[in-house]
Amino acid sequence: MTETFSYIAKILPALLEGTKVTLVVFFATLLLAIPLGLPLALGSDCRFRPVRWFCRGYVALFRGTPLMLQLFFIFYMLPIYFNILLPALTAAVITFVLNYAAYLSEIYRGGIGSIERGQYEAAACLGLNSFQTMFGIIIPQTVKRVLPAVTNEMITLVKDTALVSAIGVADLMKNSRSAVNRDSTTMAFLVAAVIYLILNVVLTKFSYYLEERFSRHEARAD
Amino acid sequence: MTENPAIIEVKNITKRFGDLTVLSGVSLSVHKGETVAIIGPSGSGKSTLLRSMNHLEKINSGEIVINGETMVSSPKGTAEYVPEREVRRICGEIGMIFQHFNLFPHMTCLQNITYAPQKVKKQPKAEAEAEARRLLELVGLADKADAYPGQLSGGQKQRVAIARGLAMNPAVMLFDEPTSALDPEITGEVLAVIKKLAENQMTMLIVTHEMGFAREVADRVIFMADGHIMEQGSPADIFERPQSERLQSFLRSILRT
Repeated sequence: MTETFSYIAKILPALLEGTKVTLVVFFATLLLAIPLGLPLALGSDCRFRPVRWFCRGYVALFRGTPLMLQLFFIFYMLPIYFNILLPALTAAVITFVLNYAAYLSEIYRGGIGSIERGQYEAAACLGLNSFQTMFGIIIPQTVKRVLPAVTNEMITLVKDTALVSAIGVADLMKNSRSAVNRDSTTMAFLVAAVIYLILNVVLTKFSYYLEERFSRHEARAD
Repeated sequence: MTENPAIIEVKNITKRFGDLTVLSGVSLSVHKGETVAIIGPSGSGKSTLLRSMNHLEKINSGEIVINGETMVSSPKGTAEYVPEREVRRICGEIGMIFQHFNLFPHMTCLQNITYAPQKVKKQPKAEAEAEARRLLELVGLADKADAYPGQLSGGQKQRVAIARGLAMNPAVMLFDEPTSALDPEITGEVLAVIKKLAENQMTMLIVTHEMGFAREVADRVIFMADGHIMEQGSPADIFERPQSERLQSFLRSILRT
């Protein structure tokens, strides 16, 4: 038993180093993909056809192909065909942002579409233009409705970040595999699993907090 | 009344949904300070008429003039609207009250009322809030300024919606069945507010199923059926001396229930 603990203590620094990289990929994707999904969502229902086609085509492409393939494309094929060489971590973040923005845009689009027509009508009757209606009336109401689905995506993201190890980024997955290969014991995988789990439990707690915050206006007085 | 300027002039408008003609050749004008009630069986086109006036529905042909400004005309037979921005400006003279209130649920009552004046009319926040509080007072909800719509009863929501409409200082208010979604015992509080507005010479057009209210408050009552205005006149004319068979049978069916 003490042997096990001392082994874990030995590999833990490397795993935590990897966790940092995992968190970098996670937060960079979260911070960039969450806003990027919005113009895609609005564009997918845009009355101007070229914009609509572009956005829908984009979503079809990024949802329709494997994330791992997209990662390989950005990391291995951009240098070959376009002479653009990116550091592995940058390539990973770019791929994840492009991919997750596509998924999030569809969640947003559904959320925006679920707002009652009466809200648009009331806004129009008050003389609000479409920008004021969208950003002042519709989107604030959408936030609460899409939160559970966005949380779902973010949990998937935590786990998907493990893919970056395939292009040599030293994340939690890669470092745990190194330890497993080196030491001929799978204990590192177990520890990695616990770390992923902890990250997602924290994430879930935080999303519940946000949901509550955005539901405050629904609390009844009595 | 007719010597007053017309706030709304609707000339010979037609509105079709696919094959269904909901308004056929309807003409009507509402003059300053007038309270006009529109009654009629469901499906008669009352709501569509109202919604056409502020561009929530696009008409197929005819002409609509709001406060002297043409929003849509049909020089070649089919409706041609002025540019979008102009439509919005012209419709800014019209306040609308909906059957289902359509308050913004993520905003407090005060924010509901002040949002549009600040954004559209660029009113300073303090000024908009002072005006909002005055309007909340008018509708009897001064204590609900910081409550969210979800915390209010249906009648209270509708009164806040009326305050929100009034905050834009419109030339005319349209009411689309303002009490139809309310429990019978609380329609009174909303009707009382509308009555108060009528006494203050607010120009209003009200689609309603409340016959007693129409009779008491309206200067003029319009009876619609099958997309036509069948009859109009003073409340006494309409309710005591109905001319058409349609109106007579409508009134009989209302009285029976």
